[in-house]
Amino acid sequence: MSSSRDDFSIAFRSALLQRGAAQKFSLFSLIILALIIFFLDIYSFNFIKPIRSIINDGVYRISLVASSPSRFVPHVTEGFTNLINIKNENERLKKELELYKQKELNVEYLENQNKNLKKILDSEETFLGKENIILSKVLIDKNSPYLKSIIINRGSKSGILKGMPVLDKEYLVGRIVETNYLSSRVLLLNDLNSRIPVTFGEDGIQGILKGNGGTRPVLEYLPEGYIIEEGLDVFTSGKDGIFSPGSPIGKTFANGEVKLFSEASQLSFVKIDTAKINKENF
Amino acid sequence: MFNIYSLRKIINYGPLVLLYYLSISEIDSHFESYFEILSFNIQLIIIYFWAIKRPEVLGNGHIFFAGLINDVVMGYPLGISSLSYLIVSLVATYIKNMTVNTSITTDWFTFFIAIFFSNATFLFLLLNFSEIKITFLDLSYNTFFTLIFFPFFWFIFNLYNTIITSGKNA
Repeated sequence: MSSSRDDFSIAFRSALLQRGAAQKFSLFSLIILALIIFFLDIYSFNFIKPIRSIINDGVYRISLVASSPSRFVPHVTEGFTNLINIKNENERLKKELELYKQKELNVEYLENQNKNLKKILDSEETFLGKENIILSKVLIDKNSPYLKSIIINRGSKSGILKGMPVLDKEYLVGRIVETNYLSSRVLLLNDLNSRIPVTFGEDGIQGILKGNGGTRPVLEYLPEGYIIEEGLDVFTSGKDGIFSPGSPIGKTFANGEVKLFSEASQLSFVKIDTAKINKENF
Repeated sequence: MFNIYSLRKIINYGPLVLLYYLSISEIDSHFESYFEILSFNIQLIIIYFWAIKRPEVLGNGHIFFAGLINDVVMGYPLGISSLSYLIVSLVATYIKNMTVNTSITTDWFTFFIAIFFSNATFLFLLLNFSEIKITFLDLSYNTFFTLIFFPFFWFIFNLYNTIITSGKNA
């Protein structure tokens, strides 16, 4: 009995402390270091914030570069499928020339569109005719089993602040939860940690839209005994003072879930509404 | 001769490169659009397999650093993934010290112990010290599917390991 306990302690100590020829650090020292970093980050000591911000910006940029092959492959596959389809269509309709011309025009159109979008993105004056709206590109949308968030290419340098609402076209998709100098993290509406005050229906029923980690957030804190009708449009109520009232979010289901107007996995560009927070700062 | 040596060296770095790439890139193993609860953690499988088979391939420092990168990309508090990865590595090293011959079944069983401790630590730290909320159910699904997919990756990595070691034993 005592011998097996000795074996256990020897093997455990060896695993924890031994470095060996190939290992420069012992597991024990690294576990302690990880714990120290964790608690420093959790309790947000002042000196940690700028360091974390620099690390975030750096890692997000590297991540963007590292992810380019994974973005390129679906494009290639999609392009390949299109090519086959076009070829079949050409054979069937015998209108090769017209289709190629059309394709050429499409490319030209896309090139022009791309140039215009690049101009907009490169410019710091990204108001698009509307004041207090900043256009931003989605840098990373790595899907986590636990957190639903995206990284965008605008940070405190562009005036982004924590809490600002983020829109896809006119639809609300989430809010800023972390800002770095050149990038920010957006917490999406379907994340478990998301809570948005909303209103819906002809009577202007008030409620809270709570993310559940799935694809459809749920309505909570509704009037007692209220039965939700299907197909009602849900809007932000603006009761929290952060979101502008009237931003469309989605449509209700009878079970209290809301189908969002904007598909979180399809976001390429988003808009950040800085109006509310700017007014408050003023 | 030099080319073969260089190529072998590059192949040796394969698992390490894969670990870093999975941590930093957008590639994820969460297939929400196909099956809502399907998600698994390939990083844990990579760390466990290589820590038990050939610890010299993945250094402890690299495991720690890959965890930090994963935390930044995923938005977790810094250090939590590192801790989770290091616990898996610790269990793997302990199993390696205690056993002589391992098979897929023993590796599979001990991997369950490793991810149990790893995910329990992850959940405990996140729920008690962080404002981030995650559900126990999501973590359980992730643990379950990681365990289910382990044999598949075990065979792939074992094949890779055979390729790496084949020249050395000759």
